[in-house]
Amino acid sequence: MPVAAPTRADLIDPASLASLGRIEIIARWVVDGFLSGLHRSPKKGFSVEFAEFRPYQPGDDLRFIDWRVVARADKWMVKQFEEETNTRAAIVLDVSRSMDWSGSPERLTKLRYAEQVVAAIALLLIRQRDAVGLVRYDDRLRTVLPARARSIQWRRIVHAIEHDPGAGTDSRMAEGIQQGAKLIRRPGIVVVISDLLVDADQMEQALRVARAAGHQVTVLHIMDPAEMELDTRGEAIFYDPEGTLEVTATVSDVRQAYAKTVKHAIEEWRLRLAALGAGYEVIRTDSPFGVPLRKAFATRQRLP
Amino acid sequence: MSFLAPIWLALTAAVAVPLFLHLLRRRIEIRREFPAARYLLRAEKENVRRLKLRNLLLMMLRTLTLLFLALAAARPIGALLGSGHVPTALAVVVDNTMSTGAIVDGTPLLSRLKNAARTVVQGATGNDQAWLVTADGVVTGGARDVVLDAIDRIEPLGGRADLSSAITHAAGLVLAADLSTSTVVLLTDAQSSQWPGDVNLGDVRVVAHAPTGTAPFNRAVTMAEPQPPRWSPKGSVLVGASGADSVTYRVTLDGRTAARGLLRGSDEQVVRLEPGERGWIAGAVDLAPDELRGDDERHFAVWVGDAPAVNVLPAAGPFVREAFDALVQSALVTRGSAVEVASVDEATKLPALLLAPNDPVRLGAANRSLERLGIPWRLGDVRRDETIARGADVEGTPVRLRFPLRPAGGAAVASDTLATASGEPWIVAGPDYVLVASPMSAEATSLPITAPFLPWLSNLLSQRLTREGSGLVRADPGTPIRLPPGVTGFEGDSQVYPVGATATAPSRAGVFFLRRGEERVGALVVNPEREESRLDRLSTNEFKARLHARDVFVATDPSDVAQRAYDASAQRPLQALLLLLALGCLISEMIVVRRAEPRGLRRVAPSLGS
Repeated sequence: MPVAAPTRADLIDPASLASLGRIEIIARWVVDGFLSGLHRSPKKGFSVEFAEFRPYQPGDDLRFIDWRVVARADKWMVKQFEEETNTRAAIVLDVSRSMDWSGSPERLTKLRYAEQVVAAIALLLIRQRDAVGLVRYDDRLRTVLPARARSIQWRRIVHAIEHDPGAGTDSRMAEGIQQGAKLIRRPGIVVVISDLLVDADQMEQALRVARAAGHQVTVLHIMDPAEMELDTRGEAIFYDPEGTLEVTATVSDVRQAYAKTVKHAIEEWRLRLAALGAGYEVIRTDSPFGVPLRKAFATRQRLP
Repeated sequence: MSFLAPIWLALTAAVAVPLFLHLLRRRIEIRREFPAARYLLRAEKENVRRLKLRNLLLMMLRTLTLLFLALAAARPIGALLGSGHVPTALAVVVDNTMSTGAIVDGTPLLSRLKNAARTVVQGATGNDQAWLVTADGVVTGGARDVVLDAIDRIEPLGGRADLSSAITHAAGLVLAADLSTSTVVLLTDAQSSQWPGDVNLGDVRVVAHAPTGTAPFNRAVTMAEPQPPRWSPKGSVLVGASGADSVTYRVTLDGRTAARGLLRGSDEQVVRLEPGERGWIAGAVDLAPDELRGDDERHFAVWVGDAPAVNVLPAAGPFVREAFDALVQSALVTRGSAVEVASVDEATKLPALLLAPNDPVRLGAANRSLERLGIPWRLGDVRRDETIARGADVEGTPVRLRFPLRPAGGAAVASDTLATASGEPWIVAGPDYVLVASPMSAEATSLPITAPFLPWLSNLLSQRLTREGSGLVRADPGTPIRLPPGVTGFEGDSQVYPVGATATAPSRAGVFFLRRGEERVGALVVNPEREESRLDRLSTNEFKARLHARDVFVATDPSDVAQRAYDASAQRPLQALLLLLALGCLISEMIVVRRAEPRGLRRVAPSLGS
């Protein structure tokens, strides 16, 4: 039976979708598509904190007209108040050299894919009136954006993604996670997006701290399909771009063993993070953006 | 194991390639960025033992594949579980000459030879080529069942045939087949008369069977000769048999017993007969049966007719007239006009006995008469030198006057010269005439006053100048024959076989009447060669010495022949087996390799590390 091609952006092939426009446009399409597939949240935000002025428009409630401004400037302005956020979230993104890699020119690099996911998650949370912060790291902390719920926050996040590429030769993930946990004062969400080619113990220690602070932690393990299945052939020297490790191998000889090893490593991560109470999802870079978005949103939904 | 194309063994050096590749520490220059290299390292460490085993297995499979292919190219042959043999071109020569019809120990020798031949052919496989060649040179080839059927249908021949030619032909057949082994199996009774000399068979194997022991005693009719060839109507048969003991014989004419008698030792007897029938009559002389029935009977044919009617003209001379009167009184001739005896110059017709004129003056008239009668001879000028005649019946007869005979027009003359004088034709004969270059007078020649004159004249008148009864042909079984002009076929087995001017005599003995349309014009008498009745055999060594070939084995037991026919080649080609092994290794190698290759990757090999 023929299957109709998906029309929602969150279900489209990520590489094809990413080729259509800039990151913020794509993120909007993805979030719009994602939200159109959800029931509207019953939770309503409220706000007492002034946010900004805007020109009056017919139909606006007269109670929110700032009469002092009308008197002083003879302009009809309406006060807008920022709703009190339901949740504060920090997104911790790994931008190290290993992330800037794709097993095929037809796929996005892990970093490009992850950035698109970050933009979409951030937009989704901001639309939910949640405050979102961002930490980007490689061999150092490259970006630290405190959590905010304003719409301008999303633009800051997108700007940071687009104008500060990473590609350092180390992943200081523990530092990034700790910084992310600090961005949110009360218990919130910490979403870690990385290929997890890091020291597991250090990362576990950082996550333990974040969990101790009451944060809900979700780790999105970004993997290229070639990393999962070693879908190439021949023999070559395979080298780690972030280190000195070089492995000479004949692909046909080690393919099965490699796949088994990766499967085993993923299972190790799953058990280790489950023990910490952290969520863990493996995201392939050929998955539609809706997949990681759904994982992250599920974490958000579990919070009060 | 041996190899038919050993030069291809050089390919075995190719097995060094996978060995070399396996042992070589290859220089890999392709570098690929791969962030998950740590997982790859872990996978290699955890599987190093399995990988080494797998690589060793692949190396062995590839080495074996090349080894098997190289060996297969060299076309090896060898014994495998003790069965089979290399493709063999096999010609089985069965000696079915008359002598093999002898009964030995209660069984015809030919039956034993046929059984041995059957066993040999049954051992042939689909890779072999088999022929059956009989002593008369008849070849039967093709499928094994066809050859077996032909063996069952072998019958003893009526004569000795030409076994040497049959064997040589068989050797040519197997050599032309261009198979691995060329073998001629010869099954014979090793009759010494069949092997007068050596037979060179070239580069073939010969496996022969020759029985040992004393040949059975055999008595044969050696003589059954009608005298004269035309009976008018009286005649006689000269009878003879081999063997020292006395033996009774019987003479039959047209299947009816005409006479019986007793022969002592190897004596010959004349049996006088006067049959009542006229025309061509088949006769035979037979003995009591012994171990070899084929030569217990000997055939003859005779033309029986009335005495010729002869007219003697006056110029023939007084001697001729006196002799004629004596022949008339003996009823060997009668007075009439069928045959004329005359001086050449007064002859009026043919057939005629023509004598040279008494007077040389009549020379011109005589030559004109010869021309008129269509005789291609002319009389030359008279010669009066005394000379001696040479020729049958007139040998040593003095000749004092003669007219030398010259061919008319100087051309060669197709006629018989019955006698010569001074090296020149003296008595010549042709169709319907006999011409004597001297007159029958005492002054010209002593012939009319010698004793042989009467039988000479009688023979000319009753045999030579009689038109009937001239078509007698004698032949050995299965030999080429030349038939008289106009013969369209011969009778045998109650039917007429059409023939041309040349034909082959039947392979069995008997009398076969020659036919010109519906008329019997002669007889073909086929009798076995006399030497075929001598059954004495060559010893094994003598027999082996007669055969010259690459390898000769003579078995005294027929059952050894079947075993030895394939003995030197009791091996089979191993090429197919080696190819199967190579294929098996290739398939195994593919399975081992593909177990590590997911299905989708066999078609697409994406680049890694972009």
